[in-house]
Amino acid sequence: MKRRDFLSGAISTGAIALAGSAAMTGTMTGTAMAQTSQARARIVIAGAGAAGLSLAARLRRQMPNATITLIDAKKEHHFQPGFTLVAAGLWRPENVTERNADYVPRGVEWIEEAVAEFDPQAKAVVTAGGRRVAYDFLFVATGLMLDYRAIAGMDPSLIGRNGIASIYAGPAQAAASAAAIDRFIETGGLGLFGRPAGEMKCAGAPLKVTFITDDKARRKGRRDAVRLIYNAHNPAVFAVPPVHDKVKALFAERDVAVNYSHVLKAMDPGAKRATYATPTGDVTLDYDFIHVVPPMRAPDAVRNSPLPWQTGPLAADGWVEAERATLRHPRYPEVFAVGDIAGVPRGKTAASVKWQVPVVVDNLVAETAGRTPRATFNGYTSCPMVTAIGKAMLIEFDYDGTLIPSFPFIAPLEELWVSWLIEEKGLKGAYRAMLRGRA
Amino acid sequence: MSTFDPMTLFFIIYESIGVWLWLMLALALVLTAGIVMSALKLYRADLPMRRPLTAALVVGLIAAIAATFAVPAWTLADLGALSGALDYAFAFLFALVPGAIVGALVFMLAARRCTSQNAAMA
Repeated sequence: MKRRDFLSGAISTGAIALAGSAAMTGTMTGTAMAQTSQARARIVIAGAGAAGLSLAARLRRQMPNATITLIDAKKEHHFQPGFTLVAAGLWRPENVTERNADYVPRGVEWIEEAVAEFDPQAKAVVTAGGRRVAYDFLFVATGLMLDYRAIAGMDPSLIGRNGIASIYAGPAQAAASAAAIDRFIETGGLGLFGRPAGEMKCAGAPLKVTFITDDKARRKGRRDAVRLIYNAHNPAVFAVPPVHDKVKALFAERDVAVNYSHVLKAMDPGAKRATYATPTGDVTLDYDFIHVVPPMRAPDAVRNSPLPWQTGPLAADGWVEAERATLRHPRYPEVFAVGDIAGVPRGKTAASVKWQVPVVVDNLVAETAGRTPRATFNGYTSCPMVTAIGKAMLIEFDYDGTLIPSFPFIAPLEELWVSWLIEEKGLKGAYRAMLRGRA
Repeated sequence: MSTFDPMTLFFIIYESIGVWLWLMLALALVLTAGIVMSALKLYRADLPMRRPLTAALVVGLIAAIAATFAVPAWTLADLGALSGALDYAFAFLFALVPGAIVGALVFMLAARRCTSQNAAMA
């Protein structure tokens, strides 16, 4: 811990109530109310990301006699909400990189292998090493897969080269994107932004990168040298109408053009050309800079299992079928889907994980203790929408797209420093507390 | 906010700053003890607390106001990021921390000076 962190902490602790309230956006819960179950269930958690670790921590505490097994080959843990700040050139990759081992609770067995197969009929999962692990209850928390290669000509190794940025692939790629943004601002030209058509994690991030690029260009006195175009995948820049209206107005104010119903389908990195599928046919645009957001889908082990939706809009990408209020699998009631992999509308954010995990854990605890499960998830998700360095809008909404602000005094559609404060200073501590099942 | 939980707040702060939390609490205790001891010294010497207290409040407030303008930089933003009453209010609330530290130190120093002067005159 450096002296700067100490000073940060000093200020945070001194203004304890306010700082805490801010930091806990979307993270408030009644930990003191947690119930326990003495059931000796075998619980498997597939995935050690935000959802998996948070589940492991809560289950360990609330079901002390259960056998809990966590399965994931991944050793590093990334604070993904911080990738935007890395791409803004404000944070370093080290600021968002930790070790999973530091968050696996005592008393939880961690099998450091990937899940290769789900066999819900036999109530077992098979690891990449061939180990078969039986369960009474399974939590699918594998996260999702970034499918860069679904865009013809695109490959994650291109990030940081030829004017290509993409903050999603990891901390190093987010840092390479920061450098690509800076080079673009220096050289000028046309910058393209956008998002994929399907479900995606942190749907605000493509907008944030657009705003950050605009702001950095203005600060360097180079805004006239760059043209920015946001290619929305459908007729809106954001799924929640009031947010769409606000972002559209901000883009107009800041001279960011918008193309609607443009989905990136192919790229020619050498020629710097991007081809978009549109309702009227393919459109090819030249660019000097492009921020690529890959299509996202379920990992193969999930897709190839019986767990995904079989029909409907969430079936194609393999999202796990789940009842939206309980995240329970309707065909396999001993299976729950939590986090990015859950086949529910919206909700692919850490803020959603924060609210999902207590719901599924409390319901399992209640059920195994002979009580009636009553907890429900309302689809809460949150996006501190950075609109410039030092300003953000704290946008929180539910399944229905209704804005549900946690703090009545913070207007969700107002650009405020206090919302930026939450993004820059508050979220990481809250996230880490969430991983330990404490927030 | 209806589900606000002090334990959650504690864990979030602890996860944000780690062991520095305990050092900060220790600093707060030391300053509080210093204020109490200084106040007791004034009381035993039958001296009024008004002057040290006024000095502490004035200097502490000035320090807090000055720190308010530094708070955005702490969040990697510039002063122009503060855009409304709410932003300024939050920045000032954060700035009260260094303001309180400065105020506590001034109170102790002023109280010490008062008691020393009183002892010299006696």
